Amino acid sequence: MATKTKAGPTKYEISINGKAATVVEGTYLLKAVMDAGFNVPTLCHHKDLTPNGTCRLCLCEVEVNGKKRLVTACNYPVRGEITVNTSTEEVKKHRKNLAEMYLGRWPNVEAIQNIAKLCGATDKEKYKSELTDENPKACILCGHCVRACSSFMIQDILGFAGRGIKRHLTMPFGDVDPHCVGCTSCGYVCPTGAIQITDDMNNPVDPELIRRHGMKVNAEMATLDKLQNRMREVGTANIVEVMDAYDLLPVHNFKFGKHPDTPKIDSKVMTRDYFTQGAADACWLGCSMACAKAVDGFELKTGPYKGQKVVVDGPEYETAAGGSNMGGFDLDFIVEYNFYCDTYGIDTISFATTMAFVMEAFEAGIITEEHTGGKKLNFGAMDEALECLHEMARGEGFGVEVGQGVRRLKEKWVKELGADPDFLNDIGMEVKGLEFSEYVSKESLAQQAGYAMAIKGPQHDEAWLIFIDMVNNQIPSMEDKAEALYYFPLFRIWFGLLGLCKIVWNDVAPADNSKYPPQEAAKIPEHVENYWKFFEGMTGIPVNEEKMLLQAERVFNLQRLMSYYFGRGTREDDLPPLRAIGPATVEEYLSREERYDKQMKEEIGIDPEGKTVEEKLAITRDHRFKQYNIVLDASYKRRGWDENGVPTIERLKQIGIDIPEVLALLEKPEQ
Amino acid sequence: MIVVNNKEKLEWYEGMTVQDVLDKMGYVYPRITVSVNDRLVQKEDYTTYEVPDNASVNVFHLAHGG
Repeated sequence: MATKTKAGPTKYEISINGKAATVVEGTYLLKAVMDAGFNVPTLCHHKDLTPNGTCRLCLCEVEVNGKKRLVTACNYPVRGEITVNTSTEEVKKHRKNLAEMYLGRWPNVEAIQNIAKLCGATDKEKYKSELTDENPKACILCGHCVRACSSFMIQDILGFAGRGIKRHLTMPFGDVDPHCVGCTSCGYVCPTGAIQITDDMNNPVDPELIRRHGMKVNAEMATLDKLQNRMREVGTANIVEVMDAYDLLPVHNFKFGKHPDTPKIDSKVMTRDYFTQGAADACWLGCSMACAKAVDGFELKTGPYKGQKVVVDGPEYETAAGGSNMGGFDLDFIVEYNFYCDTYGIDTISFATTMAFVMEAFEAGIITEEHTGGKKLNFGAMDEALECLHEMARGEGFGVEVGQGVRRLKEKWVKELGADPDFLNDIGMEVKGLEFSEYVSKESLAQQAGYAMAIKGPQHDEAWLIFIDMVNNQIPSMEDKAEALYYFPLFRIWFGLLGLCKIVWNDVAPADNSKYPPQEAAKIPEHVENYWKFFEGMTGIPVNEEKMLLQAERVFNLQRLMSYYFGRGTREDDLPPLRAIGPATVEEYLSREERYDKQMKEEIGIDPEGKTVEEKLAITRDHRFKQYNIVLDASYKRRGWDENGVPTIERLKQIGIDIPEVLALLEKPEQ
Repeated sequence: MIVVNNKEKLEWYEGMTVQDVLDKMGYVYPRITVSVNDRLVQKEDYTTYEVPDNASVNVFHLAHGG
């Protein structure tokens, strides 16, 4: 009986060789048959490739409403209550006949011989003809390679030409296609050895090991990405709407985490109205994820190229979220500032976060039109923000000041305008002089520390722990958080040093990743292993978690010591602004009053009843800084650093870098 | 009463499904793993799998940002 529920998929009870099975609508019959424990021969089927039914060996008898017919199981989607028989006399007769024809044409190919055996075909002579190819590694036209090229690499380098007996495998016009990057997917899926990989560039020690794991990555891109994060379709922008839904999308200089206008800048609009390019060529030729996107024919409205149609690389998530942070809920604006930042060589994140800070300062009256060259820089002032960007590039006007970044603006406004330093420090979203990237970290202690402790400043590529911490609650204790703040920066530094991309580590996950306990699952163990195997395949040196962490820890500690040497590597440099860890203003507190009041009662143990907002804000502030300092202490301890955040000599000894050149960094130069 | 991710408490009612819990929590992320009292629930069963009272529901987001 079919079970249909309000939003869930329909399921059908079907019968396979008399055995009952429950199948979700749309499941291909071959999968259902295999899942039920029956074996059906096939030549052209491959678990990671789109089925195409060309070999016809997987024929099964299907009975629908009393009518029986033969179907190819690999590409027959179950759409009703059916009765299936995988081996009727008629089915067996057809399969045997087909297998004899294959055997007649390719008598010495092992894959064909195996199939023939399964189907009871033994007569090699029956269909012998002028087409018979005695080569044991002959191409059997299964099409695995053609489909791998298309689904793994989003390319159509390989294809079939000719019809009937003239059908053959070829590249366009029978020539070697220069677009082929040599990904070797075709050779990997070829069941006969007709396609051989003969050249391994860069002299890896074990190319087969690299290929085996690389192909796992490719297959996941082809089969799982569309069900998971749609990186191929929309790239990193797919999380604009996700961040808004979880109150994490920065809005108005990180005051809020969502906005009613987010649907104007989400990935649906980008896909529908903007993205025109999405191929495996944008950042790494041959990448099977191809997450980089581009907008073609975008007509600029401002600046030196006004009126010209240009190609824009992006926007990615951070750039779109920079838009919401400035209150610019308009993709025309976002694509334009994206283009000009790229053109001028300015980082979109630093620009957006600085501009959002300037806008808040303008709204708070710290600066006025007198300082901004007449520009009204309220949140959402998109034309004015673009003008600041152009001024910055021209080296003129207020834009030059904006170009100095948040830290210097704070210092300047305190010194020259007498602005309140506490307020500016609370809302100025920078640590170590670098502007925050675009996530609201208020509700995740581990993310706050991941940002503020990052050696280069609050950038998310050391530890991005918002979901693990805030949503999943997987690292509840301070020690758990410290452990995550130990492992993730080291892992990310390690693969970064190897030149491997972060995206194929965790923007797609194996279908069965949930078999691991949650804290392990967050690491995506199979993908970490892929990276170890890439390393081993290239260098011949096996690596495991212990060795990886040691390699990374040496570099990480050296980086920290260099920061220390140059005056940016102690506890005071790891402290975030208030807004990164909690509400900084009355407006912010009131916007999430229920949440903060609840926390005050349940976590701090103070009854908010009868207290003014200002009092509640002060209590929340104290509590959150205390919590932050506890996590900082726990992290320093786990890393083997002293309470001031400086690597100890003992730790340097443990990891084997207590050499004089490194120890000399502990002696600060005269400032 | 049920507990989500060992933290959030939700009022339980007769017939409450996994999908109801996800809706209530605002969990719209596409890559999640759900377990009810440590038993894994498949995606196709979210709308039919009923959550018992006092259940511990874990919704694990395999988040990929940053």
